[in-house]
Amino acid sequence: MATRTTVPFGPQHPVLPEPVQLRITYEDEKVVEVVPVIGYGQRGIEKACELNEYNKNIYLCERVCGICSYQHSESVVLATEQLWPLDIPPRTKFLRTIWAEMARTHSHLLWLGLFADAFGYESMFLQFWRIREKVLDILEQTAGHRVIQSVNVVGGVRRDIDEAQKKTVIDTLNVVRRESDDLVNVLINDYTVKSRTVGVGVMTKAQAMALGCVGPTLRGSGVSEDARLTKYSAYGELNYEPIVETAGDCYARMKVRARELFQAIDLQMEALSKLPEGEIAIKVKGGPPANETVARTEAPRGELYYYAKGNGTRHLERMKIRTPTFANLPAVLILLPGCQLADVPVNIHSLDPCISCTER
Amino acid sequence: MENIIQITKNDIVNEGKKLLDAGAKFVTAVCNDLDEKLEVTYFFSANRGVDLTCLRYTVGKDEEVPSLTGTTLSTLLIENEMKELFGLKVKDLAIDYGGHLMLAHDSPTTPMLKPKKAEAESKGEI
Amino acid sequence: MGLIHNSRIKSPWIMHFDNSSCNGCDIEVLACLTPLYDVERFGIVNMGNPKHADVLLITGPVNRRTARVLRNLYDQVPGPKMVIAVGTCASTGGVFHNCYNVLGGVDKVVPVDVYIPGCSVRPEAIIDGVVLALQKLASANL
Ligand code: SF4
Repeated sequence: MATRTTVPFGPQHPVLPEPVQLRITYEDEKVVEVVPVIGYGQRGIEKACELNEYNKNIYLCERVCGICSYQHSESVVLATEQLWPLDIPPRTKFLRTIWAEMARTHSHLLWLGLFADAFGYESMFLQFWRIREKVLDILEQTAGHRVIQSVNVVGGVRRDIDEAQKKTVIDTLNVVRRESDDLVNVLINDYTVKSRTVGVGVMTKAQAMALGCVGPTLRGSGVSEDARLTKYSAYGELNYEPIVETAGDCYARMKVRARELFQAIDLQMEALSKLPEGEIAIKVKGGPPANETVARTEAPRGELYYYAKGNGTRHLERMKIRTPTFANLPAVLILLPGCQLADVPVNIHSLDPCISCTER
Repeated sequence: MENIIQITKNDIVNEGKKLLDAGAKFVTAVCNDLDEKLEVTYFFSANRGVDLTCLRYTVGKDEEVPSLTGTTLSTLLIENEMKELFGLKVKDLAIDYGGHLMLAHDSPTTPMLKPKKAEAESKGEI
Repeated sequence: MGLIHNSRIKSPWIMHFDNSSCNGCDIEVLACLTPLYDVERFGIVNMGNPKHADVLLITGPVNRRTARVLRNLYDQVPGPKMVIAVGTCASTGGVFHNCYNVLGGVDKVVPVDVYIPGCSVRPEAIIDGVVLALQKLASANL
């Protein structure tokens, strides 16, 4: 009889920089059971959102997750604005979309690097991160910071993109596209990568829907769902259709993200070329009225839901944050059992887990 | 928010199953503290994720409520979370973390509940 | 001032631990290792095992569950060791100061040698912080 061993994966583990623990039970080299233990990142942000004034929530919610921080700030302002509802100038909407896609570009580059690292391609990891620095540079130049931009406020944005910046952004994006093209080609066509990822961690369409997966994880299983289809911000005026792969394995999820990287660049180019003139913010007085609403945006990892409830004062009654990884985490329950010990990191990374999001 | 369907707590499993069978996807659940009662809202999305439907019920703070985890595992984490943070008494959870999904042993219990209005007034906090 | 002491200053091994940060500082710590900042040219190597590490880079505020883990890791790092709190929230609790599950800065649990403010910190600041820590290590009478 095979021996059973239970190994804790985390909370401090070289594969995942974040604190999460997976109690994995192996039978020889095969995973038979997995129990995710979270709570290492629990801070209590939802409660603090009720204690803070509504306009300070932006800075707090941005720090739910540092990688998709832009989408968090966008969602929290969208949710708060919808409580009135406020009429946001079109230029603001376009600017928000441009930065959102810029953040997606950097996040996907980051993920592609980490994923390459998960199966041992260390120099590829470094190459992707080298390209990513260029995206961070234009983010810093236009939005003000590399990681946490704090560019959104309720009623608008704090910075504008002028002509000179527009040119730099376009030039940089062209370079990013060219350079990532080379690397992504290797990743997608390489024999070794295929043998590590094709057929590994298969999740069928039905399973993905039943587990409530979101984002690239869901689209990798052949479901064409995306919060951008709800046409928030400027997505209604852009040419957008979700990217879908049908195989449902790690390779498919990687391909979705790789293709979304180029799509994000295209969307930025399109939004920049259509950028309307006008105001970038409107004045907001008083607190949000007693009302409730849901804001949904597409973060790099999937759909982000913010539920907000106002009560007429400057403090919100309730703020609920449902992050993409919170929805994707149950997927480890079906991805891991049955896979080999060596495939665990690849499987986990293919979900693009963001633990600090999950626990808030 | 449109599409809010008011139900009772015992209908949640049936109504939820109906939506899921019709091709909807579970999104999340939100618990609200209404001073005397708890208001629970389940969100489902359909039509490529564009349309939202909400099932909402209100229960007293010490009433037991059924869990959807018998039907779909996707509600596992959020029901555990509501149980922990709001003290919502969810029964028959598929995996019960026993109040320690998020919170550590020395964390405050049910931190998301608001101070009772009556008590807060008597202390002069409002 | 033996050989080991000298090599520790010349090539410190770093371990990074994430308490309950927002990842903002974590990705900047990782960015330090990548080609643009490339701390490996200073001999700094990132380690996964606390028993190999000289310098502990800690991001994020301590929450009630990670406090024990952090203490544990700190005890496993062989001395002399340096602890660096990376980011405002690791230094003081920062933006999370009023969250119910947060105890505060890293110094609530383990002694800290260098504080690096910034939210998120820039990679340059992290490198500066590590250099400061190494100076402290070099001047320590060991
Ligand atoms: S200092 Fe700021 S950016 Fe860094 S981990 Fe803390 S909240 Fe995130």
